[in-house]
Amino acid sequence: MNKERYHRQIILNGFGAAAQQRLSDAHVLVIGAGGLGCPALQYLVGAGVGQIGIIDDDSISLSNLHRQILYNTEDIGKLKVVVAAERLQLLNPEINIVAYPERLTKNIILSLIKAYDFILDGTDNFESRYLVNDASGLLKKPLVFAAVSGFEGQLAVFNVAGEENEATNYRDLFAVPPSAGEIPNCEANGVLGVLPGIIGSMAAAEMIKLIAGIGDPLINKLLHYNLLSHEQYVLNISPAYNYLLPKTEQEFLAMDYDNNHASSESYCEIDVQKMQVLQQDPATILIDVREEHEYPMLDKGVYKQIPMSAFQAFLRTTVNEQNIVLICQHGIRSVAAAELLHGKYGGTKNIYSLKGGIAKWAGYF
Amino acid sequence: MKIDIMAFGKISEFIQNQEMDIVNINNTDELKPYLEQSFPQLAGIKYKLALNKDVVQTNLKLSNKDSIAIMPPFSGG
Repeated sequence: MNKERYHRQIILNGFGAAAQQRLSDAHVLVIGAGGLGCPALQYLVGAGVGQIGIIDDDSISLSNLHRQILYNTEDIGKLKVVVAAERLQLLNPEINIVAYPERLTKNIILSLIKAYDFILDGTDNFESRYLVNDASGLLKKPLVFAAVSGFEGQLAVFNVAGEENEATNYRDLFAVPPSAGEIPNCEANGVLGVLPGIIGSMAAAEMIKLIAGIGDPLINKLLHYNLLSHEQYVLNISPAYNYLLPKTEQEFLAMDYDNNHASSESYCEIDVQKMQVLQQDPATILIDVREEHEYPMLDKGVYKQIPMSAFQAFLRTTVNEQNIVLICQHGIRSVAAAELLHGKYGGTKNIYSLKGGIAKWAGYF
Repeated sequence: MKIDIMAFGKISEFIQNQEMDIVNINNTDELKPYLEQSFPQLAGIKYKLALNKDVVQTNLKLSNKDSIAIMPPFSGG
């Protein structure tokens, strides 16, 4: 280890060479290389965490760049983890960085998490967050949770026993995931780039404190941060006892993390091949529910654009077609739209949502 | 009795931070339906209450000047 690289933190009162060694010995998995993951990764790499894994299957797009500051305009279209690993290795060639350009699923997460001591959740959807929470809980891995919404952030440390020897996790706050469309995501809601910058940096600070054994990490606490006022509100979390975490790998694999939404009978999630088949039917209407400013723009002659912000007005009109296919960027808002349409038409129409959205089928669109 | 209400995230769009006068409401179990009646949008979403900065996991008695935080889950990253 090059002491000069870490000199300014080693000389800190209460840190020292022992804490630096603990960082160097640690294996940290960062899940998501987006708005939260980018700043967190930069500080963890700079601080000298010995091994850092990064998992994300997403590619860099122009609208990422205002907050995902590891990437530049020339990187558009490249895999995030590949670019991130390359940049981060330049920042600190002394540590080991492993990139996993894969979608996080319940089939791979356990073996992945087993190879790491600490987990940082910087994902951007509830499906992944509950997956990460349950897998980390099952394997008893300390988890730094970070999330943003609008101008606010949430931060917590899960699966670490506090003073009363009790550990808590995300399900102690929210036992089950919200249904699709209930809580807006960054794409629908917008986010100021600096907010995940702040919360991601705070997540890195929590991780460094946990590993180095300094300060008071947010164990059994949830921090709320408001960017507009800089106000912070820290809540104490106690166990809820109103949910069941999977206790074995078999139980974990039997959980349904896809099923964040209403019953599958109300609408059907389809792939692009099925969409093409439906498209041949004149009784089919294709609806793009993204907002007008979103890219890529689709041919409005083929895909009727009805943004979610105008969807309530659309619900008051009548659709003549028998088959309704809904499309959005990642297949999340389109599910919410499908639920709304099901609420109106019940079983009298066939309602479909393109699973994974335009991002998944980018080659087709 | 009077309690302070503080809302976070999406919930703060329809519940302003305010002092609320509550009558015949003695505990958090009674408070929840009252809040959902006063703010109908709350009934449609998942949220958690905290009483004086402690997350509410069981029914807790309310006292004058208590503070209640109402928070939704965040998923953005």
